[in-house]
Amino acid sequence: MTYTFIAFYFLTLHILIYLQNKSQVYAAPKYTKVKDLSIILPCYNDGKNIGKFIENILKTDYPGLKKVIIVDDYSEDDSYEIIKKYARKYPKVEAYRVPEHTGRAAGPKNYGLKYANTELIGFSDDDSFPAPNAISKMVGFLEEEGVGGVTSRVFVKNPKTNFLTKSQSIEYKVMAFTRKLFEFIESIYVTNGPLSIYKKEVLDKTGGFDMKNLTEDIELTWNTVSKGYKVRMCIPAVVRSRVPETVGQWFRQRIRWNVGGIQTVAKYRKKFLQCGMLGLFIMPFFTLSWILGITGLFFLAYRFFNFILMKFLVAKYSVAANVALITTDSFTLNPSILFFFGMLLFSLGLTYTFTSLFYSRGQAKIIGHPIRDIFIYSIFYLIMYPPLLLTAFYKYARGYNEWGTR
Amino acid sequence: MLKSKKHVFWEALLITIVVFLAGLFLGMLIEAANSAKISSLYLQSEISLTDASATARLAEDISLDCEVIKEQNIIVADRIYEEAKLLELYEDSGKLTDSMKLLHKKYDLLRTFLWMTNDKSLERCDNYNLAVYLYEYGSEDTEIKATQNVWSKILLDIRKQSADFMLLPIAANQNLTSLEFLKQKHEVTQLPALVINNDKVLYELENVDSILDLLN
Repeated sequence: MTYTFIAFYFLTLHILIYLQNKSQVYAAPKYTKVKDLSIILPCYNDGKNIGKFIENILKTDYPGLKKVIIVDDYSEDDSYEIIKKYARKYPKVEAYRVPEHTGRAAGPKNYGLKYANTELIGFSDDDSFPAPNAISKMVGFLEEEGVGGVTSRVFVKNPKTNFLTKSQSIEYKVMAFTRKLFEFIESIYVTNGPLSIYKKEVLDKTGGFDMKNLTEDIELTWNTVSKGYKVRMCIPAVVRSRVPETVGQWFRQRIRWNVGGIQTVAKYRKKFLQCGMLGLFIMPFFTLSWILGITGLFFLAYRFFNFILMKFLVAKYSVAANVALITTDSFTLNPSILFFFGMLLFSLGLTYTFTSLFYSRGQAKIIGHPIRDIFIYSIFYLIMYPPLLLTAFYKYARGYNEWGTR
Repeated sequence: MLKSKKHVFWEALLITIVVFLAGLFLGMLIEAANSAKISSLYLQSEISLTDASATARLAEDISLDCEVIKEQNIIVADRIYEEAKLLELYEDSGKLTDSMKLLHKKYDLLRTFLWMTNDKSLERCDNYNLAVYLYEYGSEDTEIKATQNVWSKILLDIRKQSADFMLLPIAANQNLTSLEFLKQKHEVTQLPALVINNDKVLYELENVDSILDLLN
């Protein structure tokens, strides 16, 4: 009952925030002054795609883009040579290489910061492709007093490969929608890696990215918020990014995300229930999500184990006693009030997913995904979260600190 | 640009509380309605049982036809059995109040009483069989739950195959003094147990044919 209550509360909160702000979801203030901008891009062993990224980012319609700083993390392939070739071709492009391989995105990003002297500094990654108008949609948010950073909406670039990428495509849209809703309560907890823009003063105050953290983008966001800045989310700014296509790659990526999340909560633990929305909502929300996820997993696992054991014993004894294995009584559906609460929760969750997809739909489509994919996502994909979380806690306790797959 | 909207946290809490209270209230109403329905059925069963009990007493004094005693007993037992099944169904969905548990106890007492009244009838009439199935109510032990599940299936099979079979399933861990006495009398030492014709006590699962062999 407590579990259902907490889950219902958070879902109601999301729905209420949406209902109270739905006219603002697509809003993107037009910039009034063109400010100079540098985009920093870390690159590692991505010689095949880096050229495409550079060509793509140069297509931006934002007139203030002054520098595209590509920092090679000591690649083993010909990435650095390709970057230098593009630097010779385009005056805005600058090629750098870290003195030694850092093994994580924070290394080349921090290195690139040394060469970024513009008022605004953006970050992207080498498998993400911002739309030409993405930057110009975002910078207007940074004119608001107290706003330190703005992030974009990520769409999956390879959504139709298999059920995993289809589910991630839905997941990314739900995450972007949720992030936008959290903006309305000043609670954005991450500025994503594919495209986020900061004021230089913020990066100077925060000291850039934390090299020890596996999710340097989450850490930087929390650092920014803890310094009193606000963070915004720009729904019309779209970035297309490639996502893992195999379960192994996906699992490693999610472990990194979760371990990074745990590292961030551990680092900012003293801010719990303090320091504005970071301590009063973001941290409790993270912590409660983990507690609900893990307790839910244990509860489900216990019920499932008991169910299987019971079925096995009944079958074994029924065979021995020579009676029917299944009787009509086995199919009696007798729902309790808790069952109805669960169904209500599931229905509201599904409605929320549909609403999120509605806000990310393409032209002439209602939600843009087959119902089958949404059910696979809602039932099978989301159920993978708690085991992932548990593994992440285990790995964190064992000192896991590998970057792994992007 | 954005005004503070932190009051949304309280609004969400208020809505959640209201929805939960409404849900709990509705749940209690449903359970009360189920309970009232069972109570009404119970009253009818109680009347039938009292009638059967009175008939059994008459059987001690006058030479009442054993067929009448058998029919009346089996009708009452079957009726209580069907009502108990309905009660069990409601009981599974009853999470908010204890009313169903109390009703269950009342039915167990009723069946215990029926068992007692059949003591003399069985001595005089051997035209029917009485099987008292004593089980553990609310057990959390998976092994016991599985065993009881299979016992139920076996007894249901026998009930379908034998017209002269009177089945009395009784939850035997309800702290009913009379039932405890009967358990002692028939030397029932563990649950679940099946007492056949107040004579044999079975603890291990048997197949249908073996049990049919033990009947008259």
